Amino acid sequence: MSAPPVQAPPAAATAPVPAPQSRRERRRQQRLAEREDGIPAEFYGLRRGTVPLLTGLAFVFAIFTLVPIAWIVINSTKTQANIFETFGFWFARPFSFFHNFSLLFQNVDGYGTYIQWFGNTVLYAALGGAGATALSAFAGYGFARFSFRGSRVLFYFTIAALLVPITALTLPLYLTYAKAHLINSIWGMILPSMISPVGIYLMRVYVDLSVPRELIDAARLDGAGEAKIFFRVALPLMVPGFMTVLLISVVAVWNNYFLPLLIFNINTRYPLTVGIGLWSERAQNSGNAQLFPMVVIGGLVTIIPLIALFLILQRYWRSGMLLGSIAN
Amino acid sequence: MAAISLRALTKVYATGITAVDALDLDVEPGEFVVLVGPSGCGKTTALRMVAGLERITSGTISFGDREVNDVSPRHRDVAMVFQNYALYPHLTVYQNIAFALENKHVPGPQRDRRVREAAEVLGLTDLLRRKPRQLSGGQRQRVAMGRAIVREPAVFLMDEPLSNLDAKLRVQMRSEVLRVHHSIGAATLYVTHDQTEAMTMGDRVAVLRDGVLQQYATPRELYDRPANVFVASFIGSPEMNLYEASLEEHHDGMAVALGSQRLGLPDQAYRAYLGRKVVVGIRPEDLGDPALDRLAGATAAGAHSQRSRATLTADARFAEMLGSEQHVFFSIDATPAGGATAAGSAGQAGLLADSEPNGVARLDPRSAIRAGGKVTFSVDTERLHFFDPDTGRAIEAAGD
Repeated sequence: MSAPPVQAPPAAATAPVPAPQSRRERRRQQRLAEREDGIPAEFYGLRRGTVPLLTGLAFVFAIFTLVPIAWIVINSTKTQANIFETFGFWFARPFSFFHNFSLLFQNVDGYGTYIQWFGNTVLYAALGGAGATALSAFAGYGFARFSFRGSRVLFYFTIAALLVPITALTLPLYLTYAKAHLINSIWGMILPSMISPVGIYLMRVYVDLSVPRELIDAARLDGAGEAKIFFRVALPLMVPGFMTVLLISVVAVWNNYFLPLLIFNINTRYPLTVGIGLWSERAQNSGNAQLFPMVVIGGLVTIIPLIALFLILQRYWRSGMLLGSIAN
Repeated sequence: MAAISLRALTKVYATGITAVDALDLDVEPGEFVVLVGPSGCGKTTALRMVAGLERITSGTISFGDREVNDVSPRHRDVAMVFQNYALYPHLTVYQNIAFALENKHVPGPQRDRRVREAAEVLGLTDLLRRKPRQLSGGQRQRVAMGRAIVREPAVFLMDEPLSNLDAKLRVQMRSEVLRVHHSIGAATLYVTHDQTEAMTMGDRVAVLRDGVLQQYATPRELYDRPANVFVASFIGSPEMNLYEASLEEHHDGMAVALGSQRLGLPDQAYRAYLGRKVVVGIRPEDLGDPALDRLAGATAAGAHSQRSRATLTADARFAEMLGSEQHVFFSIDATPAGGATAAGSAGQAGLLADSEPNGVARLDPRSAIRAGGKVTFSVDTERLHFFDPDTGRAIEAAGD
């Protein structure tokens, strides 16, 4: 059995297509080929109208999730007064996006600067996310490809950790942190972020599916040490899973509100979540209404790096990594 | 001293299943030994134990005079070709082949020379910069071989390396593997379930069944003198015809009672079993067309062959013409004895049990024997095989 060709030509092309040259054209061809691989919806045996109905429902749901994002984009261009006095889903003069944006670099009310919190968040997310991804890759590979005494029990513990809500751990966590002098320490934020039960679970499943045992056996017989096998043979095959875990972990740290709220009481250590939360609270309760536009644009700027990260990592989610390695 | 020697090698899985049972096997330096058996007979497990990928329950494995039981696969210096190739998909052909040398810290220029030599031997020189996914099945198989031979190992293991190739390529690669083997001369242990591969490739062949070694001999000897019913039916295609029979007094000599028919035996070699039940085995090619036999008999050693000829009347069900030979599937009123599968491929043809053929003859294509109705075969009674029905072991002819 030979593996299917990497680049299946588009079946039943209407006109003879010249050999695809550009990268873009090749991608398009590949997408076409992938579509050819699927079973057309009309062959699923569904009743007529089911597919349009489901598509419609999905569309409604998509609108539902996109509405807040549209709102935040629109309102980031408004002055404080207009946020409250004009229709929420349309623009209003004056256009104050750049003015609002400039406020993010100033310490408006003496409680902290957005740009500093942004820097903190980037630091925590980068170190925490990278650490979580690396540890998940090691642990997932270990669980998937080594059997050692207690490996099952340990893995069950990992799964169990998925089920415990962090809020249930507030008090013990705080007390432990106090004893360990981790209150107001950036390590208090970063170290726990490196532990990702979801990441470990995902990596284990991914390694099971994508790193064949034979390949590891072959590398062992080829005289490679375990570390070399991991980095040279297994890791390249784990890239899509690795990137997924990286994205999940970075997003988790980026959006983490509860842990930094608990451990930081110095404004300059805050990440964005806590900082914007503080602004929001002061805008509502302390009469600092000039903070409202900053909360809005701050929220918008906060999500942009995550979207960028997603777009950057997207190229790593591809299939067919194993083509040619294993027969059948 | 043997290059590989296995002593009482045993593997019992945690589930209590014995995969390999007290296997003794010696592979001489430069020898090509095939381990063959039906699927699940423990041959791959045995090979993986030799490689160090599977823990040994008991017994010893030695390479030369060095016992390797507790040596990790990394330090055993064995090369292995996997059934599914197990190429590193993200590395080029060159890097795949060089990987082992890299691990051994072979200096650059020497590494490069050896990779290129291996590629030369296998005809991969033009493909060195490709990735495995850009190769055909046969080319991938070659890369897997290249990765193994570049190491110049003392011990070479192959786990069904040809089973993923199509039939034509498989035949081609058989001679290729042997050519490579002769050029590197390493002791080789080759696992397959295909008896044709075993017969054509092995210097010696070890037949394994349920983890137990059945016979370890040259292909010729396996074919001519199978040690038991299992080997007799496993080796050879089409399979040997095996029937329950008994040995009787007949005129002045002995005969085999096969259903309602008697086949006179040329000598008294099996007198010890007179009056007892036996299993008789007849190779399909030892059945012939009497008309053609007479033509052949007129030429040479006729007198002798006439003496050892008996006839067998059977009901011919259907025939397969292969061009170079024809297979006539027939039934006789004897009970087939349990071989690997009773009637071989014939079973699929008959819908009704009583119409199923229980034997096959391999005839010259010029033979006029056709399917449908009674036919008479000549039987070369010197080449009958006898087995003890209780133990399944071959009955040795008494010396004459």
